Amino acid sequence: MNDAQHISPDDLALHALQALSPQESAAVREHVSGCGVCRAELASLHGDLAMVALGVEQQPLPAGARERFAQRLESDARAGAVEGKRSEPMSIERTSKPRLATWAGWLAAAAALIVAAALGFEVNSLRARLQESDNKIAAFQASESQAKQVAEVLTAPSAQKVVLTASKTPPAPTGRVVYLASRGGLILQANNLASIPAGKTYELWVIPADGSAPIPAGLFKPDAAGNGSLVLPSIPQGVKAKAFGVTLEDAAGSKTPTAPILLAGAAPQSGE
Amino acid sequence: MERVRAGGQQAMTAVFDRYAGLVYSVAFRVLKDAGHAEDVTQEIFFQLWRNPASFSFSKGSLGAWLLVVARNRAIDHLRQRRPAEPIDEVVVVSATNLQSEAECSILMKRVRGILGDLPQEQQQSLQLAFFDGLSHSEIAERTGQPLGTVKTRIRSALSSLRKRLEP
Repeated sequence: MNDAQHISPDDLALHALQALSPQESAAVREHVSGCGVCRAELASLHGDLAMVALGVEQQPLPAGARERFAQRLESDARAGAVEGKRSEPMSIERTSKPRLATWAGWLAAAAALIVAAALGFEVNSLRARLQESDNKIAAFQASESQAKQVAEVLTAPSAQKVVLTASKTPPAPTGRVVYLASRGGLILQANNLASIPAGKTYELWVIPADGSAPIPAGLFKPDAAGNGSLVLPSIPQGVKAKAFGVTLEDAAGSKTPTAPILLAGAAPQSGE
Repeated sequence: MERVRAGGQQAMTAVFDRYAGLVYSVAFRVLKDAGHAEDVTQEIFFQLWRNPASFSFSKGSLGAWLLVVARNRAIDHLRQRRPAEPIDEVVVVSATNLQSEAECSILMKRVRGILGDLPQEQQQSLQLAFFDGLSHSEIAERTGQPLGTVKTRIRSALSSLRKRLEP
């Protein structure tokens, strides 16, 4: 199974498919846990398997599946709230004829309940503060990650910088695209754009170098001064671009560009 | 996913809306039963809701990760066994972005074309392992081929797919 230092590619593929025997799988798992090379290859094999899965014929979800999921979420959220209440002190029913001898016990229980109630309140308060902090950290991390990506796209030596122009219309609308294919990073800054009718939007397109269909790269509308921009729209990584174009589309955007192409620019060969 | 982590039901429903069709289709392909496929689909998204930390972006794109988890859970269901691998151990490296439906649809067509072009014996071995959940020795027995041949065919099929999808 091991070729000198690593798991053989054949066995790693079978492991990714869970097609090895339990004993073989355990051996692979143990090796992979301590081997970065095999771990990386296993992750790539999972990527290959994701593509195999993507190739299956698509089926419509059964009727009501979405509603059933939403209801389950709702019940779970409610159950979570009830559980929270369960953690609070429970009330105690009074007996109809309390005996004197039991008063001491009841008083102790009541005292314990008061302490528990106070602790329960404190725990809930701390939990809420912790959640608030978590949310702030998550928001900060997302913002930092976005800023880092913007900086990387703008400063990468291999980023393509393209000026998009329209013909002979003063003041000429222009668009400037910075594109880093390996990261799927793209920034568009457009100026002097004509205002658009209601119900319409501008849409940017990446025209792949391999001749495949144009990829929608985001919708944008100009401000009163005719300026518009797109920052890191959601586009696939690793698409080598031949050109970029901007079209006018319906407000919801389009899956294919509608002629005419209002702004266009070819990508230089030197980019990724 | 950040909003899901913060407890947002709406965000989780949005994740379901985007990816449930993909997950269900894979589960249906494996299980060939709408009820069981929906059970698997609901369970995967519910687990993600209960434990959003099981997926992090260091584990690849959410769509690709869900596809692998869907296949594995459907096979577990088919074999009526406990999950062979916890979902939070699955790491998927994929350059693809399945967030955009248009992109996803183009990629699906490409993948189907590539898989259809593979030699018949590679397609058969891959199908038996991936969709029927057979082990390598079960595939060898079923096809009458030596174990080594089965292994090579599966790995070659995956290598060809990767190579042809490379940008």
